[in-house]
Amino acid sequence: MAADAEAIIAGLGGADNIIEVEPCITRLRTEVHDASKVNQAALKAAGAHGVMAAGNVVQVVVGPEADTIASDIEDIIG
Amino acid sequence: MELARDLRKGASLTTVLAPVAGAAIGLAAVPDPVFSQAMVGPGTAIDPRREPGTAIAPISGTIVKLHPHAFVVVGDDGRGVLVHLGIDTVQLKGEGFTLLAAEGDHVTAGQPVVAWNPAAVEAGGRSPVCPVVALDAPAESVGDVVQGDVDAGDLLFQWS
Repeated sequence: MAADAEAIIAGLGGADNIIEVEPCITRLRTEVHDASKVNQAALKAAGAHGVMAAGNVVQVVVGPEADTIASDIEDIIG
Repeated sequence: MELARDLRKGASLTTVLAPVAGAAIGLAAVPDPVFSQAMVGPGTAIDPRREPGTAIAPISGTIVKLHPHAFVVVGDDGRGVLVHLGIDTVQLKGEGFTLLAAEGDHVTAGQPVVAWNPAAVEAGGRSPVCPVVALDAPAESVGDVVQGDVDAGDLLFQWS
């Protein structure tokens, strides 16, 4: 089941917290303003297989639908 | 619907071929937690020979995703196999990779998909190790995983 773009945005601390979302084939590489606003449990509930955070770079593993989800997120956050 | 799917699953066996030549080392050896922890599925990884090579389709099917550094082939039964050429190679933005097929193409197992050079990837400071993943498969459905030297096109594992 594909992860939910809206729920991923919320799990990343909301649209205002997201600097960049770049899809790789299995994951979203995101950069956020404030890593403490990222809710890993919420991201997993949104359909992420896993979350890896290093500083302000948060990788959300969503499987091969990453490209589609990233463009959905970009459509929403503009 | 669910029953029909289960019956089809029970009847099918997908033979996954080595997409590149090298040494099959297992997913746990991949320096990337997404693969080493099998977050996107079970499978194995190949430490490729450090020479210019061609990555081939591991199964017959449709190329549903094609990036220079990675691709997914989905068979007619809906099973997808991911081939990732090196680790963090998305950062190369395609440099050093030549596409030999197009997204949406139907390919047969063994057909060339991407030409690349593992030695160049390594010289750039990245691991050229290639995860080969049975996407979203239950761990126990992947068996007969080959270890050690393989040529491109050799049996790599079975997906039951």
